[in-house]
Amino acid sequence: MSIAIETKDLSRVYQSYRKPEGVWNSIKGLWDRQHIEKVALKPTTLSIEPGQIVGLVGANGAGKTTLLKMLSGLIVPSSGEATVLGYKPWERKHEFLKQISILLGQKNQLWWDLAPYDSFSLLARIYDLDLDKARARVNELAKRLQCTHVLETQLRRLSLGERMKMEIIGALLHEPAVLFLDEPTIGLDMIAQESIRDFLADYVRSRGPTVILTSHYMDDIAQLAHKLLLISKGAIVYEGTVENFTRATEDVRTFSFRFAEELPADLALPEGHVLKAGQKDHQLKILPQHLGILMPEIARAGILQDLKMEETDFEDVIRGFLEKESRIL
Amino acid sequence: MSFAAFWKRNLGFFKMAIASNVEYRMNYFIDAVAQPSVTAVIEILLWVGIFRTAGSATIGGFGLQDYLAYVLWGAFFARIAASWMYEFRMIEEIDSGSVNGLLVRPMSFYEYYLSQLMGYKFITTGVSFLIPLSVGAAMGWNIHYDRLPMAVLLVFFYLILVHSISFVVSTCAFFLNRIYALTVAKNLALWTLTGELIPLDLMPEPFRSWILILPFPSGVFIPVGYLTGRVGADAVAQGFVSVAVSLILVNALGLFMWKKGLRSYSGTGA
Repeated sequence: MSIAIETKDLSRVYQSYRKPEGVWNSIKGLWDRQHIEKVALKPTTLSIEPGQIVGLVGANGAGKTTLLKMLSGLIVPSSGEATVLGYKPWERKHEFLKQISILLGQKNQLWWDLAPYDSFSLLARIYDLDLDKARARVNELAKRLQCTHVLETQLRRLSLGERMKMEIIGALLHEPAVLFLDEPTIGLDMIAQESIRDFLADYVRSRGPTVILTSHYMDDIAQLAHKLLLISKGAIVYEGTVENFTRATEDVRTFSFRFAEELPADLALPEGHVLKAGQKDHQLKILPQHLGILMPEIARAGILQDLKMEETDFEDVIRGFLEKESRIL
Repeated sequence: MSFAAFWKRNLGFFKMAIASNVEYRMNYFIDAVAQPSVTAVIEILLWVGIFRTAGSATIGGFGLQDYLAYVLWGAFFARIAASWMYEFRMIEEIDSGSVNGLLVRPMSFYEYYLSQLMGYKFITTGVSFLIPLSVGAAMGWNIHYDRLPMAVLLVFFYLILVHSISFVVSTCAFFLNRIYALTVAKNLALWTLTGELIPLDLMPEPFRSWILILPFPSGVFIPVGYLTGRVGADAVAQGFVSVAVSLILVNALGLFMWKKGLRSYSGTGA
């Protein structure tokens, strides 16, 4: 199969209703509701090759989870077509479901009252796996994730990081050909994030599943994805390699500094930057090559007490990119 | 899909329900023993009171001992025939979007909850039936113990229908949020229609005849009536037929609602 995932004009519209403020409007809503429609995903056409790892990036509400849900068969599109491994996902045929897995970082999919071993044994039955082989695989994955010690503890008693590791084992137990990862590292501390990221990188390298990954963390995408889809307001606005995207955005830095005294008046700097009057702390988004021009001007403006240059966070990179795109368009 | 795979995973759900229920020991014993025992004690007191006030040896052709045997067994059979706890879970699952975790797996929502319900009823019935068995034997009440397997079979068959109705109710959560009131209203109706509240042969005509055609008496009145000698094997046979026909109708409706519901589902919460 040359294409693992393909969509043509795939779109989804959600229906909701307006709820104006106040008790009277709540009562009125018993017989009179103002229904509204929200386009979560505009007609989208894309194709993903087998073994490709695609990073799906966008702000909250951009439409990335909606796309993921349609491709995994959770929801039915309003229009358009999609095939995953040759199946229409929303028909949810068992042959299709046995070959995919979706990991929702904000949702438990294992059984809260059971110990992970029991959950995995149940999953092995659901996926019709050989129980001995499944157990060996659980042990192997748990060893790689360094979490063998929690396999016999009830899920509800585990930490968030441990639970996520268990969810990952559950998602990979049947060796899916297509893996949907929706924010797998959300809410985890840096160490847990790194551990899961390393594990997933190692796993996809060795097993080669097709992966669609959504994340708010640039490191997740940078380390794992071959291809990047940037989605904004329900439409894909960038499709290309991670390298090209990074090249287009990586130069932006956040330059922060503090003066001993507040500035008496606004100060215009080269490259269109302005320092506001009445404050000691300032922050500029600059390109590193402009630092040489800006620094003498800043040093002349007051006595510097502190300065710091750091990479802009991912949300800002996306925002910067989208702003640039809209200027071009 | 092979039958072996279907059986294997459903046995897994069945066992999971047992494991989950016995995990919380206090809740399990209250649920299996205390709850139906309290219901039975209240009903026994009520019937003793009715007979004393009536000043008659029989009501509707049956004596106090017959009523006591009926309400004792009735409370425990009604315990089997109810699925409100799983119905709430099914509704919650769809309402909150937790159903996502089931939809992406090669199994059905219906079978997943049916097998769990059966596992749960199996583990609670095994323990809770010890109460009416021992009380009935100690009191020397007229109970046809040889009829117990058939009565249990009928109530478990009826339980599949109860689950199917729960399935239909839960699919409403695709279209409406917060439909728990529907479960409560339905359970109140079933309380009367199964014969848990009063033996159905005390109902006035024509309601009595109408209700007896329905599948609901197979939950309490027919199995308990059969066990205590109120009804014969013909009523049991009619119960099986009535439940079977209803299963076809209710499941057809459930399938329609499920498919329609999935089309409008937005995968809430994830």
